[in-house]
Amino acid sequence: MKNDLIPSSPLTVNWAITNICNFACSHCYSRSDTTEELSIDTVGVVLDKLAKAKVFSVNFGGGEPLLRKDLLEIARRSADLGFAVSMNSNGFLIDRDIARKLKVAGFSKVGISIDSPKPGVHDKFRGIKGSHEKALSALAYLKEAGIETSISSVICKINIDDVDGLVEMALSSGVTNINFHNFKCSGLGLANKDILDLTPEEWRDFYIRAIELKKSVKNLRISLEDPIISQLVEKSNDTLVKGSVCGKLSLNIKSNGDITPCGFIPMVIGNLRTDDLADVWKNSTVLEMMRGKTAKGKCISCDHYSDCLGGCTARTLALTGDMNNPDPHCWRHDS
Amino acid sequence: MKIFRNPDVMWREEDEFREQAYKGLDTGEDVAEIGTSILLHSGKMHSLNVLGTEIWKLCDGKTPQEIVSTLREMFDVDEEVLRKDAGEFLQNMKEEGLVYEE
Repeated sequence: MKNDLIPSSPLTVNWAITNICNFACSHCYSRSDTTEELSIDTVGVVLDKLAKAKVFSVNFGGGEPLLRKDLLEIARRSADLGFAVSMNSNGFLIDRDIARKLKVAGFSKVGISIDSPKPGVHDKFRGIKGSHEKALSALAYLKEAGIETSISSVICKINIDDVDGLVEMALSSGVTNINFHNFKCSGLGLANKDILDLTPEEWRDFYIRAIELKKSVKNLRISLEDPIISQLVEKSNDTLVKGSVCGKLSLNIKSNGDITPCGFIPMVIGNLRTDDLADVWKNSTVLEMMRGKTAKGKCISCDHYSDCLGGCTARTLALTGDMNNPDPHCWRHDS
Repeated sequence: MKIFRNPDVMWREEDEFREQAYKGLDTGEDVAEIGTSILLHSGKMHSLNVLGTEIWKLCDGKTPQEIVSTLREMFDVDEEVLRKDAGEFLQNMKEEGLVYEE
């Protein structure tokens, strides 16, 4: 089996279907984004374009996707076109009835954001009292409805000492997956970087522990999508590409149809109201740069560069202004 | 024994690479490294070359012998070599959960 191609179109599209939100998260990257939304008819046109490009899966986010009134209809259309349909939600609006409706509409997976096993810590971070309890209830209702569930946790200062607790919470709530998202310095994440982001050494220690848990914990998939961990793990054949997957296997759509390489890179490379997806994917100069990064600084002499490719492109770009620079989270010292 | 594709596997052919591989076959080039399809299953991705892709597409209830016979009509390869390669490939796909036997 081969392992070395950039596909002709993205396999997954992450779509901020609305930017309206009922939360006030400390690290929000989309609150200042456009509130313009595509009409249901235009959403249909975009979905047809994704189907034509043979995209596998559509993952709705935002904002809070459930605040879009026609989400169920959008999901139904997506599932009818053959996409695997999923969503990231804060879970606040999901009760038993909504969970059943999501299942009927075609959602196969739903991820709920929970950043701490401690309710008070999560509620403060997300800006809404009672949100932890609601999130756990949402997971139970979704599971009961037959939807595969996951927990998404943004790793930062508030939970760095509670990684084991997050895993225990995931196990007790019966999710199949917990996604440890590395902290991105976009939007409020950049403004609150000094309060929330970890030092490179703290990132190293976190990943060492998370990898131990990933190996030892049964009945739970622990996802760590950060290229810089290639320093700590054996080479994997689970993905087709090296470095960040953004712009190589996935793309991001904003609520107004703008296309960006990922949700954390504010560079618009097209708009799906007017542009063809495969054309943007093939001809974007930004994507070309992301796929052809050049080692700089300490990356030049690093043995892991061929796997890591300089780490997270979004983070590096946000903090250094040059996507080819070494990832600021990388703990390796220049030799 | 019939071989079936696991219906949970998402997959697609990559038309541009497929065309490139078949052109290479016509001119006698080694096309083993050209991925012509992508499979996604349980969070793991696989890229198959042109022979792998054709075997994958033939996993629709055919027996291994039927698959080899069909491949013989498509590729100019010695039958014994094809039987061995296809057998190993099918075993690999079975272990990955991509196909199942009935």
